[in-house]
Amino acid sequence: MSTIHLHGLAVYQQQRCLLNPLDLDLHPGEALTVLGESGSGKSLLAHAIIGTLPAGLRAEGELRTDGRRYPLHDAANRRHLWGELLAILPQEPVTALDPTMRVLPQVAEGWRGDGHLARDAARRRLDRLGLQAAEHHYPHQLSGGMAQRVAFAAATLGGARLLLADEPSKGLDSAACDTLRRLLQQHLDSGQCLLTITHDIALARALGGQVLVMQGGEVVEHGPASRILSQPHHPYTLALLAAEPQAWPAIAHPAAGDWLLQGRGLAKAYGSQQLFRDVDIDLAAGERVALLAASGAGKSTLGNMLLGLTAPDHGSVRYRDGLSRTAWQRLYQDPVQAFAPHVPLHTALHDVLKRCGQPWSALEALLHRLKLGPALLQRLPSQVSGGELQRLALIRTLLLRPALLFADEPTSRLDPVTQRDTVHCLLDELARIGCALLLVTHDAALADKATVHRIRL
Amino acid sequence: MTPLTSRAWPQRLGYLLLAAVLLFALAGPLLWPDYAGQQLMRFLETPSLAEPLGRDQLGRSVIARLASAARLSLWLAGLCVLSAALLGCLLGVLSAWRGGWTDTVLRGLADGVLALPGLLIVLIFSAMAQGGFLTLYIGLALAQWVEYFRMTRARSRLLLASPHVEASRLLGFGPAHIVRRHLWPELAPMLLTMMSFGLATAILALSTLGFVGVGIQPPTPELGLMMTEALPHYSEAPQLLLAPVAVLALTLAALVLLRPLEVNS
Amino acid sequence: MDSARQRALARICGQRLLQAAIVSLLVAALCFLLVQQLPGDMAFRIAAGRYGYDYVDAAAADAVRQELGLARPSWQQFAGWLGQLAQLQLGQSLVTGGAVLAEIAHHLGATVQLAAASVALALGVGLPLGLASGLAPGGWADRLTLGYSVLLRALPPFLLGLMLMLGLSVQLGWAPAAGHGEGGNLLLPALTLGLGLSGLTARIVRDSVLAVVQADYYRFARSKGLAPWRVFLRHGLRNIGVTVVAYAGVQLILLIEGVVVVESLFAWPGVGHALVHAIFWRDVPMIQGCTLLLAWLFVLMNTATDLLCLAIDPRGPAES
Repeated sequence: MSTIHLHGLAVYQQQRCLLNPLDLDLHPGEALTVLGESGSGKSLLAHAIIGTLPAGLRAEGELRTDGRRYPLHDAANRRHLWGELLAILPQEPVTALDPTMRVLPQVAEGWRGDGHLARDAARRRLDRLGLQAAEHHYPHQLSGGMAQRVAFAAATLGGARLLLADEPSKGLDSAACDTLRRLLQQHLDSGQCLLTITHDIALARALGGQVLVMQGGEVVEHGPASRILSQPHHPYTLALLAAEPQAWPAIAHPAAGDWLLQGRGLAKAYGSQQLFRDVDIDLAAGERVALLAASGAGKSTLGNMLLGLTAPDHGSVRYRDGLSRTAWQRLYQDPVQAFAPHVPLHTALHDVLKRCGQPWSALEALLHRLKLGPALLQRLPSQVSGGELQRLALIRTLLLRPALLFADEPTSRLDPVTQRDTVHCLLDELARIGCALLLVTHDAALADKATVHRIRL
Repeated sequence: MTPLTSRAWPQRLGYLLLAAVLLFALAGPLLWPDYAGQQLMRFLETPSLAEPLGRDQLGRSVIARLASAARLSLWLAGLCVLSAALLGCLLGVLSAWRGGWTDTVLRGLADGVLALPGLLIVLIFSAMAQGGFLTLYIGLALAQWVEYFRMTRARSRLLLASPHVEASRLLGFGPAHIVRRHLWPELAPMLLTMMSFGLATAILALSTLGFVGVGIQPPTPELGLMMTEALPHYSEAPQLLLAPVAVLALTLAALVLLRPLEVNS
Repeated sequence: MDSARQRALARICGQRLLQAAIVSLLVAALCFLLVQQLPGDMAFRIAAGRYGYDYVDAAAADAVRQELGLARPSWQQFAGWLGQLAQLQLGQSLVTGGAVLAEIAHHLGATVQLAAASVALALGVGLPLGLASGLAPGGWADRLTLGYSVLLRALPPFLLGLMLMLGLSVQLGWAPAAGHGEGGNLLLPALTLGLGLSGLTARIVRDSVLAVVQADYYRFARSKGLAPWRVFLRHGLRNIGVTVVAYAGVQLILLIEGVVVVESLFAWPGVGHALVHAIFWRDVPMIQGCTLLLAWLFVLMNTATDLLCLAIDPRGPAES
């Protein structure tokens, strides 16, 4: 197995440079991980290598391996390398599988050569991934984690020497992240090359090898993972590492007050699947509690039950008297979905002010404290960045002076720096009005820093 | 994504055509008011300046009849579409909001109506109508409300279960706010598209009925009816047939062009 | 897995049976309304239908009234019908006196013949056009298809038929304009209906092809190193089929409505022609029979597409 070199790889839109020229060497068995903020041109890198840049974008540079040269500006010259030299790990495994075809043939078709051998090879690969039972299943019968492993098997069965993984851990819970790490490590151990593009520092650390940090279409730091992730030089890398919850300084939490709500013996099932049963939960005023569990364990359902949005199958929830109906509020994982899509933010927030009888100045004060410009309000929810919109969602609930805020993975879609800023904002503002927090997260480090008590489902 | 330019010109053309047809339907009857007067001596008279389309087999002014027919088609179809949209929307939102047996009954009814292609419903009503407008109007509206019902119900169900509606409810907002801010902005553009489609369907159904002789009865001028009447005289006076055909085709083309042509791109 | 399929099968059949039942009640109720509010002397009109207006007098009308039992209150007539309907007896035509069921059965063959020819033509034209435009969106084939479908939308069946009739028959003398009996006569009605349907077919195929070709799984299959034609055969065809079949319901509406219009236009002796004729004469049992038959035909074809969908898509048809 020989090294794959990329020389002077760059991406242009007409004359504008979106990705500055860079050189990469991919050695067999050694991971290369590209870290960077969203919009830094990371994804363009993968498309430029494979030859799938969107129309209007142009790649420069060349790919060299085994004494051959492939100029990158010609997207078609690498098409015959697909599956043989280049393979892509799909970002969303569920949609990357053909819904009308069983698992086995989908995996087997990546094999180059005889059909009979392909089936055997595919079967062996599926066995090794613990999927022997699933080979005759259709994709809609697979769980998310199974689909991920099937997609991995399908992408790598052809034995491509370079596997490109673009944001592979996006939206995965911690168990799925562990599986992913193991799969990628296996791929490296078999002596192949791996290029991972991510903003997940934990994944970069686990894979080791070389790390490349990008900001604004430019490489700002490059070197072995062990050095870069422990002794970074560039300010951006420093900020990136400092934004990891593990690295946050300890946060002072306010003391808990009177009781707020009591859930006793709560249970919920969907169809034949029991989500949880016999859950007791107590929340006090101003208290900060994290709810930790794997995805699909019913964290959001339990939260909604406490807010009174979902009725429990068994058990009951008791609330302290004298609190208004709007004292129970919620933050959503995807803030874009929490706002009416066609209503400008200005109108949406104005409606809330009118509803709770507060002056415009109350909103202005909050905007100022959360470092949001008033000009933002002229836009639609979809035109505002995730971090800003999540803060606006927070403001919207704060106007009602809630007693409990149920925050359902409020920062899991944000990059680490934005996540840190948003969580700190959230905690500061809740402390100011003495509001309790029930935080759903799959990130144990975040739960450690942001809350006092932890509940596992 | 289609570039804006390649999308815009058909729509601009659509608006232009529709404006022309509307102008003809509104101003035509004022310019040529006498659509009923027969002058048998002047039957099949060739076009002239005063009578741009000549006279028909009974010596009636073709352009006056055409303008009157266009106006009839447009207002009757428009009324049908508005009523169908209103009824369908109200029932759709009601069904999505209430759920339970309201939903079951309404859906069963809609499924039943859906198994009856619209034209068949209109045909049965036309048998009752005896050439009258009111029954035809009821028939056309009843044939169309199901589409609005189904769309509104499906979209509303999705929307009412969405996080943003849940958030609004948690914030203490009532049904009026949810309809105004969450449902209406989402439904309105789709309704508009469906209504342009429905308008075309209604105009088409009216002229089809007229053409096969079971719709609006003579001597009222109606596009389909005019075509049937003109057919025997096609070789002597082709404009008699071609004029209503052109008005109908242009109206339908305008309504087709108004909609976004790419279904998904 | 298999039990899930059986459940889906049972659900489809149950839903469609229920739909057929509701639509039957609906048609019966509409026809009842029709009888109730019909003004004037029905016996006179029927007599005129039999003997011509010039030869009808009060005696002839009375004879018809006696013969058909039109003097009974209308609700009794309706109750009788409903009972007969439950036993699939559709009564007798008020005009010809023949059994409705026999008359419709006689017309059904012609309708099926026309429908089959038209669908074949629509698929023959629409499939290649749709494929060519879906595989190269924005290309010349796509533009052609778009123009073609817009043109056909603006040219409803009876206008298209009229133009074909005038063009092929009157001007060029290639085909007979109306009537049934010789083989050549099917040409114009089938051409009219088939071309009319082909525009929408082409657009639906085009959109389905485009959606599949742009799908994640299609790109992923390409990236596994499969040749484009293999990806199309393995992952394209079946998925395109799923969407095209799912849209068949819309097409079927156009087909049924088109059958009625085109048959009347060309005097093709099918159920649609009989229906329009019956409406003209207010022959209520015949109206009911024809409408019911067309509605059942429609439900039956929808059931067939549901089952086809179940057969080619492992997920089964979407819940309605």
